[in-house]
Amino acid sequence: MSNNKRKSISYAKWGYIFIAPFFIVFIFCSLIPLVSTFYNSFFENYRDGLTQVGPNFVGLENYKKLFTPDNSGNIQVIDYTVNTMIMWVMGAIPQLVVALLLAIFFTANRLNIKGQAFFKTVIYMPNLIMASAFSMLFFTLFSNVGPINQIISSMTGEVYDFFGKTVSVRSLVAFVNFLMWFGNTTILLMAGIMGIDQSLFEAASIDGATSTQVLFKITLPLLMPIIVYVAITALIGGLQMFDVPQILTAGHGNPNRTSMTLVMYLNNYISTSKNFGMGGAISAIMFVITGALSFVVYKSLVTDDSPKKKVKKSKGAELL
Amino acid sequence: MRNFKKTLALLSSLAMAGTMFAGCGGGGDTTATTTAGGDSADTTAAAGGDSAETTAAAEGGDSAAAADEGKVFNIYAWNEEFKGFFEKYYTVPEGITVNWIINPSDGGVYQEKLDEALLAQADAAADDKIDMFLAEADYIKKYTDTDATLDVTSIGVQKADTMYQYTVDAASDANGVMKGVSFQCCPAALIYRRSIAKDVLGTDDPAAVQDALSDWSKFESVAATAKEKGYYMTASYAETYRTWSNNATEAWVDANNNLVVPQAMKDYIAQAKNFMDKGYTLTAGVWDDEKTAQMFADGKTMCFFGPAWYYNFSMGNAQDPEKGCSGDWAIVEGPQAYFWGGTWLLGATGTDNPTMLADIMNTFTVNEEVCTNLVKNEMQFSNNTKVNEAVAADPEYGNAFLGNQNDTAVFCELAKNIKFENKTKYDQLLNENITTVFLDYFKGTISEEEAYANFYKFVSEKYPAVTVPAQ
Repeated sequence: MSNNKRKSISYAKWGYIFIAPFFIVFIFCSLIPLVSTFYNSFFENYRDGLTQVGPNFVGLENYKKLFTPDNSGNIQVIDYTVNTMIMWVMGAIPQLVVALLLAIFFTANRLNIKGQAFFKTVIYMPNLIMASAFSMLFFTLFSNVGPINQIISSMTGEVYDFFGKTVSVRSLVAFVNFLMWFGNTTILLMAGIMGIDQSLFEAASIDGATSTQVLFKITLPLLMPIIVYVAITALIGGLQMFDVPQILTAGHGNPNRTSMTLVMYLNNYISTSKNFGMGGAISAIMFVITGALSFVVYKSLVTDDSPKKKVKKSKGAELL
Repeated sequence: MRNFKKTLALLSSLAMAGTMFAGCGGGGDTTATTTAGGDSADTTAAAGGDSAETTAAAEGGDSAAAADEGKVFNIYAWNEEFKGFFEKYYTVPEGITVNWIINPSDGGVYQEKLDEALLAQADAAADDKIDMFLAEADYIKKYTDTDATLDVTSIGVQKADTMYQYTVDAASDANGVMKGVSFQCCPAALIYRRSIAKDVLGTDDPAAVQDALSDWSKFESVAATAKEKGYYMTASYAETYRTWSNNATEAWVDANNNLVVPQAMKDYIAQAKNFMDKGYTLTAGVWDDEKTAQMFADGKTMCFFGPAWYYNFSMGNAQDPEKGCSGDWAIVEGPQAYFWGGTWLLGATGTDNPTMLADIMNTFTVNEEVCTNLVKNEMQFSNNTKVNEAVAADPEYGNAFLGNQNDTAVFCELAKNIKFENKTKYDQLLNENITTVFLDYFKGTISEEEAYANFYKFVSEKYPAVTVPAQ
């Protein structure tokens, strides 16, 4: 008996050793920076030219400053959060829909698409290019003297000022993000679909289920965990949206700061004056927003009875 | 099924087209950086793309450096302009390697990198210490007023009478201690296209053109005529900005660190809005491709504003042998005399090459042969009154780019009026961004009040030490 006990203890030890690298890396590269960001947000700490100011403890002063409404009654942090979310939703919804469609096409046995490897590579390709290079390209394409405007002006005689209108700037940002990430999402969703037991699809086809029924009764419910994962990672990535709007609008969030995202706002504080106090405060707010939204997404997509149970029930019902 | 295939084919061809374009984007990155301007360099920095370090091998020559001094001479700069002159006209002492660390100026990237290096200077290894760095008029005060810069007269740099006084003032701290020198003097002019002037004004003779453009109301009425004939007066909404800002009678930031928008900037805003509304100017930024494209022979823009370095360094399109129009240009004082930019060489405290540092500074200011070369071969206006006046009086000299006009003679007159006043260490971002932040207002998207509020927001984010009016 004592022998038995020792054995189990020693197994546990190896388990801990095997998972230790992750925790060590996590503590040093994520947890400590995270805590120090919160810590920094309570200090006045910036550079004025070559002179360092602070760090002086100021309590919640930085947060107060962030939440003070301006003359027109708007709170900037909230405005920029809304901007970020709008641009994210504009990109993420088509991204999910297109990726889902592609994933279904690619995995459908009845379609049996040829040259899959080629297409998968191609749709994944944009993700390999630096976001800054990609946005630079779009900036050039859609600028007032760019090729798109040359086409437009040759047809209508007028130049469309893409970077002067809220709708077009936001759409461009969303489109670039969509283009960069739908391939990635497709690959994830395909992996999810391929993980579903083939016998379910076979059973469904024997029972005479239509493609739509298969999609809504089998594929989607079983894919839910992956969709939730994709949605939450996309959300976190979306809240950190920076490079694309930064480059498309030269850091100004034109027009009238309507495409300014939270991280661009953060960058304004950090880049010139190394204002770690305000930067920390914005980061802390972003952390809270990210946490809250992830929770909402998780709760709204994962229902009480786990998806698996549901499908088992329905499968059982069909088999009866 | 057919539809599926069709949709799939469409989607994948779209994706392919996307990747194709993206490929081009990666390749054309260098030119692209200038177009976007702004903070774009921040992101590229993350990928390690933005700091170009180039090492110039040491060439033989007279060994001016003392034997016990450092073997590596580090120079921080924001473009290749001075590097070009340095490699052409300065003989590096034997055994010394010159290391250029070049970061773009856009959005203050150059200053960020430089500041980091200067703050780490005390702890850096001798060969890694900055020996010399370049600074522009907009932010030179940030460095001259600190201990990061060195009293260069103490290492043998001459405070020569031939230097323009404003270049000395700019490089001196509050107590008048000289921290560096400039190799150029930057009186700025109105640069016009001769052929367009002929069409609009009936003459391209500089004296007559100056008469027609000698104040802003005349400038505006000529702009109206130019528009009728299908031309633009200027190519950028910020084209005339420096004529206003460098003549401002108040500083951006007052003694109590409050932001005060000087009257000159308000006048600029009124003018730019007016010109945009009336279609006298293109809506390009001052460094945009859309503007520089106007310098080609088929451009429709009559006036550009800039000093000697501008047409030497920034009007490459006009000098293009095929599409350009070299010789079709001339300069006049224009509505308002002003100066723009200028590159100062500052000595960094802690340098391990003081002899070479002093030698470089003296070479580009008091060595008459080098200064004459700068003027005659490089289209510069040197910081040596004697050389400039000799060239101005030389009947043989003419600048081919300006249709053989003697530009040095024009600049000699303009240089007399330059004063370096009302500058603060915050000027660069304020000057660069007031024009871009107000662009929404110029385009009519937002009201003037909103534009001011946006500008104040920008300043409060960038400079926490500056108090801005409530927005």
